[in-house]
Amino acid sequence: MATIINADTSNGLKLTSDTSGEIQLQSAGTTIATVDSTGLTMASGKLIASTGPAFSAYNAGTQAVSAATITKVVFNSENFDTNSNFDSTTNYRFTPTVAGYYQINVGIYYQGANNGFILLYKNGSVLSRLAGTQSGLAMLSGSALVNMNGTTDYLEMYAYDGGGQTIGSGSSSLMFFDGFLARAA
Amino acid sequence: MNLYEKIIALYPELADYDFAMGDITLQNDSDGRGDYIAKWEHPTLSKPTNKELT
Repeated sequence: MATIINADTSNGLKLTSDTSGEIQLQSAGTTIATVDSTGLTMASGKLIASTGPAFSAYNAGTQAVSAATITKVVFNSENFDTNSNFDSTTNYRFTPTVAGYYQINVGIYYQGANNGFILLYKNGSVLSRLAGTQSGLAMLSGSALVNMNGTTDYLEMYAYDGGGQTIGSGSSSLMFFDGFLARAA
Repeated sequence: MNLYEKIIALYPELADYDFAMGDITLQNDSDGRGDYIAKWEHPTLSKPTNKELT
């Protein structure tokens, strides 16, 4: 058995106590989760819903990248930005206000790459080089898991092309930058 | 003529230089200020002056 805490629809809180060292959390008599000495276990089909920051930004137009010049990609539109942490008007950067580890994804279409690649910048410096190609039309995409302090840390995407190139092609699916809190600090 | 082209005109020997991996970084922060030299650590060529780039 277990100590049961049940949010009953007729009587409100119902508490059944024992000495098993286990607690079952119930809603209307249905077990949602169990807590014991090993930790919290969700019942089959039940979820812990995360409310951490998530964003999805894009550029539905095109952008010129000068030859051999690392250029910040202008993500000036948003599909969503749950915590208002993405700046799509001035700096085109993600500054999460919750500390933790963020899964970051990016995709950029090159109309004809010449040693083109994508760079993830953290706080104004290169953090990682995500994807690259030697030549030709290319949809470059990459991802990273980044530790953010929830106050001053910010992320930006830069694009490079050895010969100069146009990125994007007039579709929101061809130049995107998104991410979410994968694990709290 | 953009910044890269001005640099190549000044230093033609850099035409085959790998700006992606080398000691020179040209950057544009999409803030309206245009291309600029973010890093210049070339072992023999000196960083161009603003006058040389105008």
